Amino acid sequence: MNLSDSKKKLALAGVICGLVAACLAFLGNPANMAFCIACFIRDTAGALGMHQAEVVQYARPEIIGLVLGAFIISVGTKEYRSTGGSSPMIRFVLGMIIVIGSLVFLGCPLRMIIRMSAGDLNAWVALIGFILGVATGVFALKKGFSLGRAHAVNRVGGTMLPVIMVGILILALCSSVLKASETGPGSMHAPLIASLVGGLVFGAVAQKSRMCFAGSIRDVILMKNFDLFSVIAGLFVVMLVFNLATGRFVVGFDTPGIIAHSNHLWNILGMYTVGFAATLAGGCPLRQLILAGQGSSDSAVTVMGMFVGAALCHTLGIAASGTAMNAETQEIVAGAVPPHGKVACIVCIIVCFVIAFTNKRDEAK
Amino acid sequence: MRKKELKLVVTFHTTADAMAMEKACKEYQVPGRIIPVPRAISAGCGLSWCAALDDREQIVSMMRRAGIEEEAMHECMV
Repeated sequence: MNLSDSKKKLALAGVICGLVAACLAFLGNPANMAFCIACFIRDTAGALGMHQAEVVQYARPEIIGLVLGAFIISVGTKEYRSTGGSSPMIRFVLGMIIVIGSLVFLGCPLRMIIRMSAGDLNAWVALIGFILGVATGVFALKKGFSLGRAHAVNRVGGTMLPVIMVGILILALCSSVLKASETGPGSMHAPLIASLVGGLVFGAVAQKSRMCFAGSIRDVILMKNFDLFSVIAGLFVVMLVFNLATGRFVVGFDTPGIIAHSNHLWNILGMYTVGFAATLAGGCPLRQLILAGQGSSDSAVTVMGMFVGAALCHTLGIAASGTAMNAETQEIVAGAVPPHGKVACIVCIIVCFVIAFTNKRDEAK
Repeated sequence: MRKKELKLVVTFHTTADAMAMEKACKEYQVPGRIIPVPRAISAGCGLSWCAALDDREQIVSMMRRAGIEEEAMHECMV
């Protein structure tokens, strides 16, 4: 089925992905984290021992499924292209920056939309930053920003990330070597098979529809084209209906239990960082996984940067904490961005500006 | 809904090339507009230049003058 030849079909693709996310939330994924690329990469990095935060360690089958879903459908439809060589180290750094920004806000753009659909006003505030970040990236594109062209590489090169994902899946299924949280967000998850199937479906649909959160805003700003935006709108509507139907729709800022904080400035700057870096890297965290699945070694390198960035966030105390209820006193404890997180976010924005305005098309040829 | 027509679609190696194309087309007053690469052409999410089929020669000549290299030229329904 062609999911991309009209806005209605693109919106349908978003609806399918929304249904997957809603099912996974219903089956046990953390509230309003139904499907978050940054959080799930952070959890998977924890499962691999890349950081030692005990509450966020679990090899999320959704991440494995996304990459393999995109890989399988691109091979099946002869769209698999093994490419690479477009400024890999800069892409690695951009991957780190994307996740650092995400964990200052507490969620990738996908989770921002899911949180928005649940009435979390912090996510609506962060949307301002995300749009401004993408707009800054678009400005850089107009000024000639380029990381250089990707070239066709050995066919096996593009399979490396899918193979690594299969390896993690085998370890999760056949051994106890991976770490798994006993409490906290990492302990909350849908059954493995449901998460894997959900990831495969989401990955395949995202590959066919070219779903991208940064790309959708970029296309609206650059060309007033709403094709990709209609995918996001479809996903938002489904999650909104799900949240309303299950009593999870709560409008407010300081809402305990949804893993969010109300530091408005840092919600804006966190997502500004993500929008800016994702536009420079050519796609949001979800899109990077999909592109890596369909053979892009450049995106696979970006994903590796995201793993390292996620690990650093919890090793160096960069990640924000969510607003929570103190079980003993029943008082609400406000979530916050730690000082290291604020410094890291500012550094990331500076690095984005340096990358954006020092990598020019003329030099990249 | 706008009716789809057969158009000339020029794809590029990088987004920056597409942006350079837009700038050059404005400068040389060459017709067309920038669009997302049609899904029928690519699973990628880059930008392309869309123009009428009759404008092909004018576009090719302008690209040579401006030093812009295309990835491919397609004819497809847009």
